[in-house]
Amino acid sequence: MCAASVEALFSLLTDRRKIRRSGRRALDSGSGPPEERLLSILRQALLLFSLDRFLVRDAGAIMRSGRILVTVRGEPVDDARHSAYREIKAVTAHALTVEEGPSGFTARFVLDV
Amino acid sequence: MRFEEISLSQVSEIAWEIPRTGGMLVPGLVFASREMMEDIVRDQALRQVMNVAHLPGILYRSIGMPDIHWGYGFPIGGVAAMDVADGVISPGGVGYDINCGVRLLRSNLETATLRPRLPELVAALHREVPSGVGSTGTVRLTAPEMDKVLTFGSRWAVSRGNGTGEDVEFTEGGGRLPGADPDAVSDVAKKRGLDQLGTLGAGNHFLEIDEVEEVFFPEAAAAYGLLQGQAVFFVHSGSRGLGYQVCDDYLDVMAAYMRKHALNVPDRQLACAHIGSGEGRRYLSGLAAAANYAFANRQLLAYQVRETVQRVLRLGPRDAGIRTVYDVGHNNAKFENHEVDGRRRDVLVHRKGATRAFPPGHPELPAAYRDVGQPVFIPGDMGRGSFVLAGAPGAMRLSFASTCHGAGRRMSRTSARRSVRGKSVIAEMERRGVLVACTSRKTIAEEIPEAYKEVGTVVDVVDRAGIARKVARLRPLAVVKG
Repeated sequence: MCAASVEALFSLLTDRRKIRRSGRRALDSGSGPPEERLLSILRQALLLFSLDRFLVRDAGAIMRSGRILVTVRGEPVDDARHSAYREIKAVTAHALTVEEGPSGFTARFVLDV
Repeated sequence: MRFEEISLSQVSEIAWEIPRTGGMLVPGLVFASREMMEDIVRDQALRQVMNVAHLPGILYRSIGMPDIHWGYGFPIGGVAAMDVADGVISPGGVGYDINCGVRLLRSNLETATLRPRLPELVAALHREVPSGVGSTGTVRLTAPEMDKVLTFGSRWAVSRGNGTGEDVEFTEGGGRLPGADPDAVSDVAKKRGLDQLGTLGAGNHFLEIDEVEEVFFPEAAAAYGLLQGQAVFFVHSGSRGLGYQVCDDYLDVMAAYMRKHALNVPDRQLACAHIGSGEGRRYLSGLAAAANYAFANRQLLAYQVRETVQRVLRLGPRDAGIRTVYDVGHNNAKFENHEVDGRRRDVLVHRKGATRAFPPGHPELPAAYRDVGQPVFIPGDMGRGSFVLAGAPGAMRLSFASTCHGAGRRMSRTSARRSVRGKSVIAEMERRGVLVACTSRKTIAEEIPEAYKEVGTVVDVVDRAGIARKVARLRPLAVVKG
């Protein structure tokens, strides 16, 4: 669910199909309730773009000792190949939910655009 | 009128009260016509007005302006004044884009003579003024310079030749919010701001060339230097990534403070700390620093507009006459003195998507505007125009010297995009007589005129409420967006 959320975030930023998987970055949620861990991962993911101009093609996650470790693959922005859809100011904590259902987890998060 | 579990009583033609219920410390007060209220009740904004009324130390009313709409925690178009002694400061009551605001520049140019040069001018502004997602400015700040920007705001830009003393004089608070401490801004926030100074950004930020179409209040228009048929320039931007990061950083600080002090609020995005606490004071220092970054940003943008127009039209500064009418923010929290329940009090006024609107005679106004009130700019959508208002006495009695800040959205961004699928928004705007230059076509689709309430109806409400008085209506001629 964390990995899918990161991919969803970057789908709002650009066309992920045009991102090459040439680099990796690691994100660590720290411990805490599920919502806090998701928020932490998403904020770190957004900073990858805002600070390092790194775009994420895909992501994978594992749980270790109550922390979520997310590995993302992607590449730095190449203005010739990547077009930005919109500016995302922040991942907000407003109405953030993580729910477990029969087919897995569902997360709902609100972005300030 | 009732909406779900919210009861509303209409206290005048254009004001509605939400009575105190549950943990609300004060009632809610929303300025809107009946027709507007029918739109407003469709989203969660009224619930958010009620939530804000739970914040410790809130005084008089939790207030909603007629452009109110759903925000994160606080509604956009929300005003809340807190008692300095026992009230709280909430980053959610300011918003992510700290001190986002508007500057209006007037000129000696008549639109009739400018019109043939508009395509060239708009192309040049789009080229010269960095805009769009991830855009970087021409200024590369060193760490010591960043600290000066955060401390001195517009004055930093003017000190390096990017503006005039008059620009500073006609900027809210002289372009510098006191109490800024660069050390209260995280390294990450500073890093985000290093190459973004002098950039417009994306989303609803814009540069616009307008014509003064109609004047309603000639004395104020004369004081502001506005004449019918004149070309004016709008700059709408804020504190960019630096401000967003300051907000994010302090939401975490406030959440920890609330856990420590067992403070409960109805929405975690309302996280707050007492104004006098270490956490509260530190956020206020960081907020002031980010606000100063925004002032400096708009100063650089205004300078770039001025230089570009002069170069394209081959005019000197005197002939172009591009001068700041005023620069005022609409996302801030400021210490002010107001009369509450019959006595003067120092309060901290949160304005999130609301503009300060000091009335005539207020000592903080520049001398040139003291007889007519503070200029307030209400950008509408890019098709139907904008308004210049003047702060009016009712604002001191009813809204902690605050008024609306824009038209307010009535369609989500997704709905707006869907509604124009397959159509060229730029061509449609051109048919309406508005040239558009943009970096992202998606942004333009999200910003179509129909996505917004009609700004005239919003402005009519604050005018009738006596909060701000209509001075002039502006008609858009050209828009540059990120």
